[in-house]
Amino acid sequence: MPKLTIDGKEIEVAPGTNLIEAARALDIEVPHYCYHPGLSVAGQCRLCMVDIEKAPRPTIACNTVATDGMVVWTQTERVLETRKSIMEFHLINHPLDCPVCDQAGECWLQIYYMKHGLYDPRMVDEKVHKPKAVPLGPHVILDAERCILCSRCVRFCDEVTATGELGIFDRGDRSEIGLFPGRELDNKYSGNVVDICPVGALTDRDFRFQVRVWYLDAAKSICPGCARGCNIEVHVNRRRPHHAQGRRVARLKPRFNAAVNKWWICDDGRYGFGFVDDGSRLRSPLQREGGQQLPVAWDEAIAGVAGALTAHPPAETGVIASPKMANEDLFALRRVLDRRGVTQVGFAVRPRVPGDEDKLLIRADKNPNTRGAELIGLGGDTAAILAAARARRIRCLWIFGHDLLDAGWPEAETRAALGAVETLIWSGTNANATSALARWVLPSAAWVERDGTFTNFEGRVQRFRAAVDQLGEALPDWEILGRVLTALGEPTLAARAEHWFRELGRSVPAFAGMTYQSIGDTGQMVGATREAARA
Amino acid sequence: MSLTAPLAFPPEQLAEVHRLQALYPDRRAALLPVLHMAQDAFGYISLEVEEYVAGLFDMTPAHVHEVVTFYTMFFQRPKGRHVVAICHNLSCHLAGAPRILTHLKERLGVEVGETTDDGRVTLLSVECLCACEHAPMMQVDDRYEFDLTPARVDRILEGLR
Repeated sequence: MPKLTIDGKEIEVAPGTNLIEAARALDIEVPHYCYHPGLSVAGQCRLCMVDIEKAPRPTIACNTVATDGMVVWTQTERVLETRKSIMEFHLINHPLDCPVCDQAGECWLQIYYMKHGLYDPRMVDEKVHKPKAVPLGPHVILDAERCILCSRCVRFCDEVTATGELGIFDRGDRSEIGLFPGRELDNKYSGNVVDICPVGALTDRDFRFQVRVWYLDAAKSICPGCARGCNIEVHVNRRRPHHAQGRRVARLKPRFNAAVNKWWICDDGRYGFGFVDDGSRLRSPLQREGGQQLPVAWDEAIAGVAGALTAHPPAETGVIASPKMANEDLFALRRVLDRRGVTQVGFAVRPRVPGDEDKLLIRADKNPNTRGAELIGLGGDTAAILAAARARRIRCLWIFGHDLLDAGWPEAETRAALGAVETLIWSGTNANATSALARWVLPSAAWVERDGTFTNFEGRVQRFRAAVDQLGEALPDWEILGRVLTALGEPTLAARAEHWFRELGRSVPAFAGMTYQSIGDTGQMVGATREAARA
Repeated sequence: MSLTAPLAFPPEQLAEVHRLQALYPDRRAALLPVLHMAQDAFGYISLEVEEYVAGLFDMTPAHVHEVVTFYTMFFQRPKGRHVVAICHNLSCHLAGAPRILTHLKERLGVEVGETTDDGRVTLLSVECLCACEHAPMMQVDDRYEFDLTPARVDRILEGLR
């Protein structure tokens, strides 16, 4: 392992580590634009110059591998002067339109210019003008004048998605990023080019002009879009609600996790949060009275649901849980079922259209917690439950989240099953055709409104955290189920998702010994703890 | 080039493409000579030609477009049967290139970058072609013409059919 000295501090790094990463390990930042740890080295922006002892001139750190005994200086006068010159060069044709640029506040041109700017520009010639506000595809829009030609987006499309849509056309000061005429940037991961664009050249069509980034708050979360469980940050707009017509979730951004999604997320996940602030969100419990579903108080709804579960014998009761529910919810549900001795439980619902899958991140299973539901023991044949309902053997059915009328089963058969049930209970975030048939509708908090964990397809348990308040009277499923459990005569002390998780760890061996602390920000594999091994 | 027939090299040129590609560790290195072949065969490098060539290299058309837009010797629009490129750099300028250029424009009836109505000649003005000892000079298709005078230019233009 090569041992080198950077700014007087010694560090040992893995063979092949470049000087930017070696410095990063010492908390020394080497400014850069084109280098990205997930992409090949281009050496394009020239900003990462450092001084290496015995080298005649500053050298780019991104393309220099650390060697044993190397002595590197990142703050010499020569290096600082070089950075200043390179910043000047990058800004020659930059429009300096920060006041109207969506990147402002998270722009590396701004950030580095504060530190390394010339502040007294010498450029007197007119700037080269290039195309502005060019939509590249469904999600990304280009301002070629702001581009510094770092080529990260080009390399992303070449190396990560292997779709090769983008190129740098023309040359010299007329060079610009673009698409082959007539083509679109419409691959499944196109939004990532916005994340890796260090400047305001590529911005997000969905997010742009919604809110200034400095008004955003962030929470660490997990994408609920498929079984991969990509690590994300949820960016919410709480401080300027009038800027986005009440849309609280501003955007989702990938959060690095070496074991799961690295730096990336897919577009389906990135833009899949629309339901959170959609008009179809359920804001209070509903009870069917004649032909209408009318709002009722939570106490009434809980009493009604507990009453139905008590009135119907367990053999006549069925539950269709959801692999979109968190582990905490599923375990709370498990306890409710055990309390009543209900055994007819399923969670898997065949989708109307089979999910797409690829080799990068996207999984065919569009549920974030199928593995968790299996481990908690809620597996069972959903089709058999529906058949039993049709045959009037199940009289009370509680459905979580699913729209069974929009699933991969004949709609008429499902409708017959739901119609034959005496008491239909439906829990979930957004109203749908199935919830419209229910006697009791219980509004669930969306995943961004609460804490919880999902278990991804590999068995990695990962935490997501509340980013916004619960909408209206919506509650997390674990809380609804805890109240039902209390109403069924088994009071629970669990007042937070974390309490349910601790109970889960005590009861289900795969989760033994796990806590929110041990899961941390990067997750923990089921069965990985000593307690689990013993159990 | 017919508009209906699918655009493609004849078999012997295709063989030449494969020979060129095999010469290099990374076959993309053969892109420049193949683009020149394509320009000769199809007249100019249209977007359709770029897509065809991209297919030969298993590249995306965007990356072929990068190369075509980078180099000045690839024509992205139809060009004349002959290309006349006069040097406008320092030595030629001092030796009277502006006068020669004016003469060329008058004789051909076109501005720089344009093609004569009969499709015979495209006129260009270019940077140094490394023949300062014979300034003023110009390139006509693949050959250099030296020590230009208006009379000499007339004779050269007459030879272009």
